[in-house]
Amino acid sequence: MFSFIKKYAESMNGVDVYPKIAMFIFLVVFVAMLLIVWKADKKYIDELEHMPLNENDN
Amino acid sequence: MEVEKFKYDNRIVRDFAFASFLWGLVGMLVGLIIALQLIFPQLNFIEYATFGRLRPIHTNAVIFAFVGNGIFMGVYYSLQRLCKARMFSDVLSQIHFWGWQLIIVLAACTLIFGITSGKEYAELEWPIDILITVIWVIFGINMFGTIFTRRERHLYVAIWFYIATWITVAMLHIVNSMELPISLWKSYSAYAGVQDALVEWWYGHNAVAFFLTTPYLGMMYYFLPKAANRPVYSYRLSIIHFWALIFIYIWAGPHHLLYTALPDWAQSLGTVFSIMLIAPSWGGMINGLLTLRGAWDRVRDDVVLKFFVVAVTAYGMATFEGPMLAIKSVNAISHYTDWTIAHVHVGALGWNGFLTFAVLFWLIPRIYRTELYSKKLANIHFWVATLGILFYVIPMYWSGWTQWSILRQFTPEGVLKYPNFLESVKAIMPMYYMRAFGGALYLTGACIGVYNLLKTAQQGTLLADEDAEAPALTKQYVAHGTKHWHRWIERRPIQMLIFAFVAVIIGGVIEFVPTFLIKSNIPTIASVKPYTPLELQGRDIYVREGCYLCHSQMIRPFRAEVARYGEYSKAGEFIYDHPFQWGSKRNGPDLAREGVGNNKKSDSWHYNHLDDPRSVSDGSIMPSYSFMLDHDLDISTTEKKIRAMQTLGVPYPAGYDKVANDDLEKQALEIQASLKKDKVNCSEKKEVIAVIAYLQRLGKDITVENQKTATLNNANQ
Repeated sequence: MFSFIKKYAESMNGVDVYPKIAMFIFLVVFVAMLLIVWKADKKYIDELEHMPLNENDN
Repeated sequence: MEVEKFKYDNRIVRDFAFASFLWGLVGMLVGLIIALQLIFPQLNFIEYATFGRLRPIHTNAVIFAFVGNGIFMGVYYSLQRLCKARMFSDVLSQIHFWGWQLIIVLAACTLIFGITSGKEYAELEWPIDILITVIWVIFGINMFGTIFTRRERHLYVAIWFYIATWITVAMLHIVNSMELPISLWKSYSAYAGVQDALVEWWYGHNAVAFFLTTPYLGMMYYFLPKAANRPVYSYRLSIIHFWALIFIYIWAGPHHLLYTALPDWAQSLGTVFSIMLIAPSWGGMINGLLTLRGAWDRVRDDVVLKFFVVAVTAYGMATFEGPMLAIKSVNAISHYTDWTIAHVHVGALGWNGFLTFAVLFWLIPRIYRTELYSKKLANIHFWVATLGILFYVIPMYWSGWTQWSILRQFTPEGVLKYPNFLESVKAIMPMYYMRAFGGALYLTGACIGVYNLLKTAQQGTLLADEDAEAPALTKQYVAHGTKHWHRWIERRPIQMLIFAFVAVIIGGVIEFVPTFLIKSNIPTIASVKPYTPLELQGRDIYVREGCYLCHSQMIRPFRAEVARYGEYSKAGEFIYDHPFQWGSKRNGPDLAREGVGNNKKSDSWHYNHLDDPRSVSDGSIMPSYSFMLDHDLDISTTEKKIRAMQTLGVPYPAGYDKVANDDLEKQALEIQASLKKDKVNCSEKKEVIAVIAYLQRLGKDITVENQKTATLNNANQ
């Protein structure tokens, strides 16, 4: 499996930087998400959260 | 604005609902049978129904048949209503339904015949794997088709969970099912040893995450507000919950392999992300429970809410416990013991089981336009099943800790106080009785529930096509209020799919790439040689019988384990193992060094032990494998097997496949002669000979005479 990329990856130096990059991406996305959610319009959020209840099947 | 009239398809929801609870009963019944087999080994009376063959049927039935159909029931009901559209195609719905049931039937029929790939929760062989992929794609087309033809611009949070489920399960299933077929019903995992273990537990862990959790969270976000008749506690929290959960979950797989031969850095990564997982999991649980704010008085009377409360609470308990179990010192106790069994049953019986029944009790009366047949019966079901969970899990916690503490005791002289593994098995027998009682209670509750649901259906009439109306979606999106990024994605399913895929793939790639590609992660050991043809055939029988479900082949670096089983396991010992057989639970001792040192037994001991385990090990709970003494070994497959192994990189000499059976017969005759010396007469053509050959081989690669080479290689790691 993956032999076609093996030779390239074996020659990679400092492959351990990958988890750090991933962690960084995660933190950036997570913090951005917090900010966006925090700043979201209340009316709009209300509209979304009532979606399951705004059906006429009951 | 023109209002469009259309109809919701309730028939398909009904079909999946019925399939869910009927298969649920089957899965739970098989669970009860295997619980009893651990108490009364005589119940393993035929080869098609031994513990090793039934246990995968139990897990597959509960996960893929009970919960799987439960997922589709929930998705098909809620998606139509949240999208204000009928399912995209009735034909696809039908193919999906019948295709999934066919998979379940094929799974049961193959597993009883020992047709298995030997990887937990992914046991099904390659033709069924392909069928699963096809049906899953059909489900995806149907789901996305519905989303594309929706009359509601925004995608409610439940739908995000469904989208993430679909894409992630597809990825997990395809990557973990990479195997090389040698016949219609036999294949070898494309990965070996450590890599196979890592892929398998990345899959196994995320099957829990993306099959048993995310779709059910989607259902919680839809059905709990419906049942409580109030919106979810915090929609903002649900956004954070979603993204954090799917991003973090995917990383946590290696916590299933702590203290094993997996590279340390991968173990640490698994631990860190597992602990981080508490935050989004509890965010979801709190969001669920607080949705009931101001409605707690209704929980007393409303049986649906009761089921929901226990389900969400069980989710909270299991998702707190999970990260704790990912801490190495705690994992040392739980791994290979019944603690893990307790943990998964809090999730399966509490979270999945109770949520399924909550939705069923809410949904069936609605689509049948009637009231629940009996609230009293539903209450009885609730209490019986709740007690069932307690009677199941508490003894299992007790059993796990008991077994762990027995097995690690030393005398003041420094030798194992209980060298025989069976001592610990005998000690936990009372807990096994209680567990079986708990399981029986839970099953009784489920039977009452199913009766109640069937009577409800009987007294009502199915509203197969439910009238609905909604204005068509305008092409122009009119923004109002402040814009933000998430608002953009909330109405774009494909972008949601891609973002969710990126989120889940990052963790997988980070874990896999270095393990696959860097040689230093899997140190090779010069003395480790490929299996002989007879050993390979024996190993395949070992896999067929599901021996790995009770016997691990992974000695952890603990004093008690090394004293009991021998030198701890090294990554390089497994490089020819397709699939790996490390196991996850010890109902019997580890077998990694069964053929060497203190563990070594004579060929005749193995022969008698396989024939009648209790004749040589008093109190053993192992099934009798006397049929192996009668069945002839099928050596017509040897050539193909050797060639498949060569394709996978196992260094048999070129052309060895042609002469492999000569070597096989020679080794079989040696074992026959050794048995004869101990006055056991057995033909060299029988399956038992191959199994003995395999068991005697285990651990031989690193023996005293080979230690020098091994040490040398370890020093180079």
